[in-house]
Amino acid sequence: MAFQAPLESYSGKIREITLGSDTQVAVGGENTLPFYTFEGNIPNRPRIAMEVYDTEPVGWAGELKSAIGDVWGDPVAWAKKCESEYGADIVCLQLASTDPNGANRSVDEAVATVKAVLEAVSIPVMVYGSGNADKDGEILKAVAEVAQGKNVVIGPAVEDNYKSVAAAAMGFGAKVAGETPIDVNMAKQLNILMSNLGVAVDSLLIDPSTGALGYGLEYCFSVNERIKLAALTQNDNMLQSPTVSNLGREVWKAKEAKISQEDAPQWGDEKKRGIIWETLTAIAVMMAGADILIMRHPESVKLIKKTIAEFGV
Amino acid sequence: MPKVYFYPDNRGVKVEDGENILRAAVLAGVHINASCGGSGTCGKCRVAVEQGDVEAQDSAKLSAEQVAQGYALACTTAVRGDVEVRIPVEVQMGDSRAALEREHRAVTHGSVLTSKDLSELFGDFDLDPVTHRVYVELSVPSLEDNLSDLERLKRELTRVHGIGDFTVDLACLKKMATKLREADWKVTATLMEGSNGECPRLIRLDAGDRSGKHYGLAVDIGTTSVYAELINLNTRESLGRVSEYNAQVSCGEDIISRIVYSLKKDGLTRLQNLVTDTINRLIGRLLEKSGVDRNDIVYMVAAGNTTMAHLFFGINARYIREGPYIPTVNFMPTVRAADLSIKIAEGARVYYIPGRSSYVGGDITSGLLASGVYKADKLTLYIDVGTNGEMVLGNSEWLLACACSAGPAFEGGSVKHGMRAVKGAIETVRINPDTLEPMILTIGQIKPRGICGSGLIDILAELFLTGVINEKGKFDLELGHPRIRESGGQAEYVLVWADESAIGEDIEITEVDLDNITRTKGAIHAGITTLLDSVQMPVEAIEQVLIAGGFGRYLELDKAITIGLLPEFTEDKVKYVGNGSLMGAHLVLLSQAARSSAKEIAQKMTYLDLSTNPSFMDNYVSALFLPHTDTNSFPSVMERIKERSRV
Repeated sequence: MAFQAPLESYSGKIREITLGSDTQVAVGGENTLPFYTFEGNIPNRPRIAMEVYDTEPVGWAGELKSAIGDVWGDPVAWAKKCESEYGADIVCLQLASTDPNGANRSVDEAVATVKAVLEAVSIPVMVYGSGNADKDGEILKAVAEVAQGKNVVIGPAVEDNYKSVAAAAMGFGAKVAGETPIDVNMAKQLNILMSNLGVAVDSLLIDPSTGALGYGLEYCFSVNERIKLAALTQNDNMLQSPTVSNLGREVWKAKEAKISQEDAPQWGDEKKRGIIWETLTAIAVMMAGADILIMRHPESVKLIKKTIAEFGV
Repeated sequence: MPKVYFYPDNRGVKVEDGENILRAAVLAGVHINASCGGSGTCGKCRVAVEQGDVEAQDSAKLSAEQVAQGYALACTTAVRGDVEVRIPVEVQMGDSRAALEREHRAVTHGSVLTSKDLSELFGDFDLDPVTHRVYVELSVPSLEDNLSDLERLKRELTRVHGIGDFTVDLACLKKMATKLREADWKVTATLMEGSNGECPRLIRLDAGDRSGKHYGLAVDIGTTSVYAELINLNTRESLGRVSEYNAQVSCGEDIISRIVYSLKKDGLTRLQNLVTDTINRLIGRLLEKSGVDRNDIVYMVAAGNTTMAHLFFGINARYIREGPYIPTVNFMPTVRAADLSIKIAEGARVYYIPGRSSYVGGDITSGLLASGVYKADKLTLYIDVGTNGEMVLGNSEWLLACACSAGPAFEGGSVKHGMRAVKGAIETVRINPDTLEPMILTIGQIKPRGICGSGLIDILAELFLTGVINEKGKFDLELGHPRIRESGGQAEYVLVWADESAIGEDIEITEVDLDNITRTKGAIHAGITTLLDSVQMPVEAIEQVLIAGGFGRYLELDKAITIGLLPEFTEDKVKYVGNGSLMGAHLVLLSQAARSSAKEIAQKMTYLDLSTNPSFMDNYVSALFLPHTDTNSFPSVMERIKERSRV
């Protein structure tokens, strides 16, 4: 008799959430571990959300400048290019310039950017604040309002501002991504807090935070994986949200991705190096179960999409 | 037991004769405004006694007319028979009766755990202390009867009391000649049984007959608090129990900071002096209270964690803190009290109950002994909540112990208005879910001075159930209630306004306080979970739960579960032991067999080190949430939360 590989079946399932309005994209929905197509259903492959910054980035790697330098500084053009040229599933608009410790752009300016981007693309949009909890609370409320009907994702909701972010999401029909510092329990706690406020569980996404390759990625892998295991094997309702991995910004902060060949000749071609760094990080978090990968470089996106296709999902 | 019935709530409760109406209301789950802790000074708990026998105290807060109409202050009115009480509308505050009924469930008798006494836990044991005091009258020596003083004493002790060979302290021998002659050859000899087959030892001679004055001292040396109890070793009678903060607290709140301090120049000596001074002060208070002579306290048994043992004996504690965490000693030698500067009888000895490891010390051995865990058939979980939380799982066949740093919150440390469970400490708190006004009771029913452990558990539970704080212990400032405010960038809830407190300022509970209490409860719960995981047993396998610690007189199981300090144990399984460590020391004073058992327990325990246990940290973070991140394991608490949100 031929060998029959033992198959697991899981009691839980990741919630399937549909994003966007014009062109909709579904995320999650799997009832098995990542790429275990032989064991269960994976209706949606991991989705690629490409980053668009609201102002011209400063201090980014030279390789990024040569790839997307023509559009950065113009979020609308950048977003369009993500959709039409780079094959992004989702646009992730990062409102970095609203940070009070940086350019401190106003709520109105942020809203204008969001509005313009929403009008320019048909694929779903995620809007991330600067990471300043208080300011994000204000900004995301206004963002949710202007994006009403567009079925966007707003985030990150954190422990210090989840009330206002969750209220905005509920009030204007947005999805909300809750971000916690690399801990499965904290991820669950934030989801409980938000659902206790009345946010429907199928509006919640989990962003468990990530580090880049070489910067604690193993630990992030474990946390991501444990979220999926709890969701699937223990049927833990509060961990069955699709997960987001905001990896692009982490990768491109790493000196391995950034430093020029001139300064570090032993590390080889800087053009390839950053792309490989981002791709490898993305592969790792994808293997751990991330449902949305937030990425930066068009070449890394191309490589990741190719990899996913080779896995047959 | 008399029954108290409350209108218009239509709720009744049975209470002890002499219990006051305010506590009866707490037990019945009826809300009466009470903000002075039951001291009779705020006058807010005015009720009308419609039927029955009560004993009311005069109060300036009631007019003669009101008294004539049957009004009384609930807090100062004792129940002397079945009573019917009507609560005036203004005293109830709030109209949403339904909310009250849902929220303030009556406390059943099994849920209010009061501390037990020794015989209730341990059972019967023979009185067999390690010391004896015997009176003898010696014949005066002469040229014909020319035995030496010591041999003369021996001869008489053998003849009258059947005491065979014994050895003698040199210090005692040096004074023997004068002592015998000054006492006219009528003396009381104090002998101590030898351990490990050694012969007894004469430790002291006193003039006259003092055989009836045979006392021992039990001491629990806690990181935060020290307790001492004076015991008559002839009759088992306790002559008083006193407590104080360990004066070492000024050198750091937890054992790690104490060890760090001990490594500074003269640090160890200073720490040793501080704890010795604390114990000597407690001895002074006990002597004053009981009228006992210092020189009649001939034995002391101490229990405490391993670090406290090292510091008390003046032993280098450095390697307790550094991996692999090895103490100098777990089994302390018995030494002379004078060598430790403990001011009891000269010649008296100090025995320290042995521990298992650096972080499971003699206090745990002592508690396991007193509560009878080591001879139990039932699978028992023993929890000692102190500055360090220790947990032991097992029965007569095996014992598995672990320890975690819980923090001093339940003993009143690291909480702004925290205090030990002494007079004036708020021990019971209810918050009206409708008006968010508190109902508080203090120990001794005097004006509140601070909050003790049981009060803190109540507060956390009540603030959570009334929605004043969220699952993370953060205040909902949007409620706009005058008691909920921000002060110095920190949110807080005012429990007692300044004019009703004994300290002349508001007594509030801050977000940082709540955080510290949550960390304490989280550490305890995580310890329990990790212990169970390591033997792969479900929480349901536990047949008996014994809780020790200085929370106060009561521990309400319901509240402890609401905050997730304990898993959802059923009432019939749980007992509150009180100070287990002190009780074990008490037992060892009275029984040599208990002393041998203590040694066996310390040798038998298996120690599980949580610092190297990967799942502990995970369990801990999971427990830093109300009641717990794993909501499925708290079905009844979740049910109550659901009820709350429907109101």
